[in-house]
Amino acid sequence: MKLFYPEHRRALEVFYEKEADNYSGLLESLAGTLEKEVAPFSATFDANAGGIAKARRLLFEQGLCRMPFEFHGGLSLPFGVYLLAMELAGAADAPTAMSLAIHNTVAEGIFRFGSDDQRKTVFGDLLSGRKLASFSLTEPSSGSDARSMHTTATKEGSHYIIDGTKTFITNAGEAEVYFVLARTEKGPSAFLVESSTPGLSVGADIPKLGMRGSRTAEVRLDGCSVPEGSLVGEDGRGLDYVKSMLNGSRIVMGSICVGIALTSYQKGLAYAKERRLFDKKLSDMQVTREKVANMRSDITSSRVMCLYASRLKDLGSEYASEAAQAKVLSTEMATRVCDQVIQLFGGYGYTNSDVHRHWRDARLLTIGEGASEVLRMLIAAKELGASG
Amino acid sequence: MNVAVCVKHAIDEGELRADPSGRPQLQGAQAKMSTFDRNAVEEALRVRESKGGTVTVLSLGSPDWKKSLKEALAMGCDRAIALSSPSDLDALATSYYLSRALQQKGPFDLVLLSEGASDTYSGLVGPMIAGWMDAPFIGYARKVQVEGSSVGAEVSLDDKTERVDAALPCVVSVVSEINSPRYPTLLQIMQASKKPMEELSVDSLRDDRAPQVTLKVLDVAAQSVNRKKVIYEGPPEESARKLFDALRKEGVI
Repeated sequence: MKLFYPEHRRALEVFYEKEADNYSGLLESLAGTLEKEVAPFSATFDANAGGIAKARRLLFEQGLCRMPFEFHGGLSLPFGVYLLAMELAGAADAPTAMSLAIHNTVAEGIFRFGSDDQRKTVFGDLLSGRKLASFSLTEPSSGSDARSMHTTATKEGSHYIIDGTKTFITNAGEAEVYFVLARTEKGPSAFLVESSTPGLSVGADIPKLGMRGSRTAEVRLDGCSVPEGSLVGEDGRGLDYVKSMLNGSRIVMGSICVGIALTSYQKGLAYAKERRLFDKKLSDMQVTREKVANMRSDITSSRVMCLYASRLKDLGSEYASEAAQAKVLSTEMATRVCDQVIQLFGGYGYTNSDVHRHWRDARLLTIGEGASEVLRMLIAAKELGASG
Repeated sequence: MNVAVCVKHAIDEGELRADPSGRPQLQGAQAKMSTFDRNAVEEALRVRESKGGTVTVLSLGSPDWKKSLKEALAMGCDRAIALSSPSDLDALATSYYLSRALQQKGPFDLVLLSEGASDTYSGLVGPMIAGWMDAPFIGYARKVQVEGSSVGAEVSLDDKTERVDAALPCVVSVVSEINSPRYPTLLQIMQASKKPMEELSVDSLRDDRAPQVTLKVLDVAAQSVNRKKVIYEGPPEESARKLFDALRKEGVI
């Protein structure tokens, strides 16, 4: 399955002009690895509900997670080039891409808000893949409403004692580092908790509609004692950090969805060119052509929106609303495109998991990392001010 | 131990399209490093890793051929030599200019190539280079081992594997089973552009032995395979039996 198309090169030419050749070379090589070593196993990851560790390891070795960072082995590439790499990874296998994206959200948090010591030790380990990270924010009774979290961190001498339960945690059970939000006396705060910390336990894998290759479980913190050096940034600022980290992460999730949609679209296109009905090819029917035109436009516009938001991020401009727009647009686009591809395949689309798994994968991302409804509130608040 | 490896920027056979008459559309076809050449590069790097020295990669021009050289540099080669030619060359002329470059830019102890290019698969350039250089040639090696001033190779023949030894300098072609080529990391790809790449015109390499290009490609056609399309009629058990018998007769089961 081919992953790098002329449309990727054109996007690089438009956004990065003189560097486009170099960036194309990088992404083409990455695509070659993904085509041979990841994409062929994606359907098996879905069927077996797991097994992405080897693919994830390979992408760590390739340096995918190093792309957007400076220092400590980062490649200092523009965020948009990293986005296109994540789009390719999403096209090859969405659960692998999502697992790495969440890992890198934690890396960004440590890089931007962590102490020098955390940057020198944990950050370097995350970039190289020596350690896998997990982002532990959601709780059973507080999903999008993170302010009402119940997990607490109580200061005792030179340690914090963390108690609470986090749910729907990607990479749970595999991660060595958990980025945990817990409430101190000063408010929600961020902590790094090693998986070996006594009191940290992981529940059984939670069965999912899609993204089955990645692991999702509950993380329980029962009297977890962590040194005060585990606090990320300032006490009580955790939620501010998380909001800022999620802006970048939302564009990445949008790009993964562009990749999911593109793979599904390519399957649909190939099928439409082969399938014959009423003595003609499906692709020669007007109703199919309308679908193709809509899907094609949808995919391109979502990619452009993601790259636009990423340029704002690279330029240091405010981009929270644009990141939310990119995520809403791209994730909802992917569910729409994958749904249309199922329709093109008809009964075969509904029954063949290699067709409908793309819709199932995309469906998560209108919920995770900021549900569409919450993001629309954020976008509208910027336009209209806070609602009364 | 100085190793040279020759690669071809070949038509990407996986992306080759045919026109409605079934003829391959070579004009504008995408190209990449010939699939098996990556095995030759990998083997060259492994020899360097065990014996020390350098690996030089050479390629004789076709449009965009420096891309393949950059890929080989990203995999770990130390330097590249890009031979540019104003016109298409046949295998004899290609091997002549490559051997001239090897002699000028060497000396090299070992010259590695793949068994054949993944687009034309003539397998001629390797032995012809050895001929021009008056060096021994080992073809179709599935294992290469350098010991002192000689190279030993396990060679894949149709019905057996043979051990062949030759004195260095030697030209060896390798088969794809010899290894699994490494994937360059993104950092290695970025660093590859800083490695030395020398461009040489074939005109600067010519001496009085230079061969004329005598081989011309008149046409390229796709090989068509017709399936038997046999349908076994009748009740399921009977048709299954007929299918089983037919498959057994063909030696499939």
